[in-house]
Order: sequence, then C-alpha cells, then structure tokens
Amino acid sequence: MSAAPAPTSIAPAVQVTGLTKRFGSFTAIDDVSLRIESGRIHGLLGRNGAGKTTLMQLITGQDFATQGDIRVFGEKPTENARVLQNICFIKESQRYPEDFQPKHVLRSAPWFFENWDADFAAQLVEEFRLPLNRRIKKLSRGQLSAVGVIVGLASRAPLTFFDEPYLGLDAVARQLFYDRLLEDFAEHPRTVVLSTHLIDEVSNLLERVVVIDQGRILMDEDADTLRTSATTVVGPRGAVEAFVRGREVLHRDGLGGLSSVTVAGIGPADRAEAAASGLELAPVSLQQLIVRKTGVREPDATETGIEQSA
Amino acid sequence: MTAAHPGIHPAPLGGRPAAPGARLWRVVRLNVVNKWTVIWIPAMIMFFIGLVNWLIWLIIWTASAPADRADAMEGTQWSGAAFYIFVYMLVVAIQIVSATFPFALGYSVTRRDFALGSGITFLLLAAGYAVGFTALSAIEEWTNGWGLGGHLFTSVYFADESIGGRLFMVFSAMLFFFAVGAFAAALFMRWRMNGILAAGAAFALLLVGTIALITFTQSWPAVGEWFVVSGPIGVTAWLLLPTVLAAVAGYAVLGRATPRS
Repeated sequence: MSAAPAPTSIAPAVQVTGLTKRFGSFTAIDDVSLRIESGRIHGLLGRNGAGKTTLMQLITGQDFATQGDIRVFGEKPTENARVLQNICFIKESQRYPEDFQPKHVLRSAPWFFENWDADFAAQLVEEFRLPLNRRIKKLSRGQLSAVGVIVGLASRAPLTFFDEPYLGLDAVARQLFYDRLLEDFAEHPRTVVLSTHLIDEVSNLLERVVVIDQGRILMDEDADTLRTSATTVVGPRGAVEAFVRGREVLHRDGLGGLSSVTVAGIGPADRAEAAASGLELAPVSLQQLIVRKTGVREPDATETGIEQSA
Repeated sequence: MTAAHPGIHPAPLGGRPAAPGARLWRVVRLNVVNKWTVIWIPAMIMFFIGLVNWLIWLIIWTASAPADRADAMEGTQWSGAAFYIFVYMLVVAIQIVSATFPFALGYSVTRRDFALGSGITFLLLAAGYAVGFTALSAIEEWTNGWGLGGHLFTSVYFADESIGGRLFMVFSAMLFFFAVGAFAAALFMRWRMNGILAAGAAFALLLVGTIALITFTQSWPAVGEWFVVSGPIGVTAWLLLPTVLAAVAGYAVLGRATPRS
C-alpha cells in the first residue's frame, strides 16, 4: 500500500476561491483565495486567532463555509467520503473520546487511513516516548501533540494537515518531528500543510509560505523567493543610507555610527555595489522577514522609516 | 484566481473509495474500540449491584421467620436496580456524539457515515444487552431468584412476559435511551448550550401542555387505563415512536454540526 505512486499531476490539491467564514458578526476568514499545490510542504503561518485552524477546518470539511468555493482534489470536501479519505487533520485542539488511551487511537487509525504504516507508527511511539496505556486526558501537552504528530505522519494521507504540531514538544521532539517528516516525505511524497508559529524552525522544510492575518491572506509565495526577497545591509550609517536610498526599506536598526537596514530585492549588481562600498550583506531569516512584512508597524512607521521606492 | 472552472484540473485521488458498508462498519468499530467502556465496566457495575442486592436479600432472608420469607422476598419484584444500565447507555450515547464525533471528523469521516455507523452501533449494543438481560432473567427464574427468591431481572414489569417479549422490551428501552442521549448531544454539537436550553424549554412546555390537556379533559383515568390495557409490551412499543423521532431528528441535526475548535 505504501508503495502506491504519489500523485504527480500539477493540478492543485486544494483550490479555494472567495472563501468567507463568519461566526455571528465575527469574520474569521475574509474572502480568501488560495491554491495548495500537490506534493509540496506548505507553511500556513500567522498569529494566534489569525484564522489558520478555521481555514484548515473548512478545507477538511469539518466546518461549513459562509461563502465561496473549496475544491479538494477537484471536488467539494464537505460530506464527500471519496475526497475526505485522502485527508488527515488532527487539530491541535482535537477532542478525543473521554475513555481513550493512545493505544485506542493507534488501533483505530488504520481503519480510516489506507496508507497507514503500523511499523512506522510503532517506531514513532518509541521515539516520542508516548505512553500507550495512559488516558489521553492525563497526557502532558507534549505527549498529546505527539499523538497528533504520529497519526499525521503514519497515516501518510495524500493531504496531511499539521495544526501547531509542536505545542508542548521539547526541542529534541520537535527536531525529531522535522527529521521524520522530511525523511518520510522524501520516500512518500504528499501534500503537507504545516501551521505554526515557530517559523525559523520549520523554514528549511517549507517550499511554500502562506501567511494569514485577521482572516486574510497576506503573503503566498515560494519560500526560496521569499528568502532572497530581502537582505540586511550593515555598515557605517552614511554608506548604508546612501546605498538604501530609493529602495524599499523593511526595517531599520542603528547603534552608534553603525546602521543595519533591511531592504527588499537586492540583485547581483546591487551586491557588487554594496561590496564596493564596504557594506556587509546578511540574509534575513524567514521569521524576521514575515514579521517585517506583516508586523504591526503602523504606530512607529515614521520611527522605523518606512519608505516605498515605487 | 480563475478557479471558476474546477473541472480543468482533474487531480488524482489517492486510492479507490471505501465501500459504503465498510465506511459504516469502521465507525461501529471506532465507537466500541474501548471495550471497557461499552461492555466490561457496565457488566462489572451490574455484577456489583447484583452482589449488593443479593447480600441484602440474605439479610432479609436470615432476619425473617421461615414462614414470612417468601412474602418478604416478594417485595423485591419492585426492584429498579437494573435500571441503571439504561441510564449508563444514555451517557454512552452522549459521549459518542460529543467526543467520538469530533474525533471521527479528525479521521475524515463524513457526518452522514458517523451518524449511520453510530445508529448501527446502538442497534448492536441494544441487541447484545437485550440478550444478556433476558438470559439473566431466565437464570434468575431457574435458580429461584438466585437461591433466595429475589428479583433483579424479573421485576414486576417483566416477569410475566415471554422470552421474546423480554428481548423486545430491553431492546426497545435501550434504543430509546440511546436515541435520546444521541439527540441531546447532537443538539449541543450543533447549537451548543442554546440548543439544549431551547430543546429543554420546548420539551417542558410540551409536557405541561399535555398535563393541562389531560387534566382539563379529565382524562387521567383514561390514561391510567391505557397503560393497563397496553401492558408493558404495548407501552414499550409506543416508546419506539419517540425513539424513531429522536433518531431521525438527531441525524438531521448532526448533519450540519461542527466540532469546537
């Protein structure tokens, strides 16, 4: 079963168009359009309450849209068994039956996920040191997260969602999750959506980055494009100011006579120019970039010197 | 985004769809994956209640004069000790809908499959408990009330019925409690506390209205007569009506229910 060929089509796994979800007067998802490509690892990033979980609930048919269209593998997901059997989505806030122990989860999961790999699941249980015979209610936050991570990985569903999978996991367990995800993804390519806060930790995993805030998509770009889309220029204040004049400045820091400015879009010619001016160029981490591009900058916009070049 | 033409991208699906029967059966298995909850714990409680009852009978037996013994034990036919099992099943149904349902959605089960699969679960559990209950009632008669003339499974409502009648009564009563529990939990899943409060209020008004109607038309004797004429089997048969109503309504309500996030 696990040898089944992965979908190789370039068709999107998920296509969302004009999606809106309201809870009473609160708009959780606001006219969102989005494509999730097959066979890639996507990061769904955003602050608490940005709408990440709601968006995933809508895509997986756990919730109903107020407006708009969702296609998963070309079909509507809600109440569609043919589509849903390809999806695994164990929420961070997943409710488990009162009397369940992890062993009940692992015993029942293979009935629902046809690609389930029991050996892999057993290996993960050992690696995450998950107690199988303890009531789920009594598990620590990290152990609870491990249950979701194990189901998400071992189910090998063609479309897998991880909702804040690392909550309460220690650094070792998080690294373990990233390693196992990458290894298994290489052997069994599938579409993965990872919602998280720890952007830098996962930035090497991500091929596509979607940033959501207050129910709207702020950014939807290839991770590589994003990583090279900004550079920090460090050097003597005067030289840095001369260099960044006319460019889009994302962030400005200064200490004494030194200045550190993050600017967008630096090409090879610019690099040469910077080198000639004796300036240092440093890459910007994905997390910093996202914070810079989406962060709350209105109140101190003048202070940090937001300039738009074009 | 030009997603107005979804047909352009026929994306591949991973594997063939599971057969409808298999999809329902795995919900049944999920509902009873922990056998302790649905079988062993209620059986153990039943055993314990039986034991305590038997010890009490023993006290009565020893304390009564030999001539009064049969008379004293006759009182145990009004026992409601076995009733707890029905309430227990009400709670099982509530838990299945309030906790297993959100969990099953995480396993990407459709609401329809979950509701139908849970319906089958309830039918099977009710049938199983009906057989067990009836078998115990037969043993009770065969051992002359567990050796002391006591009544636990052959209470007064039950004692005169045939084996078939007993099976029917336990089966129907248990289904009633499953359906009511599942319906109430479905209301909660769909509308949270408001749903429960509204349904509770509606039910209270309906009840008061019915009482008023019976009282004003001076029909209480007729009501009492109806119970006597219908007999335990007839009354139980009528219980199927609210059971079916609750089941159908529960199915409809759960069809648009969403788990808390």
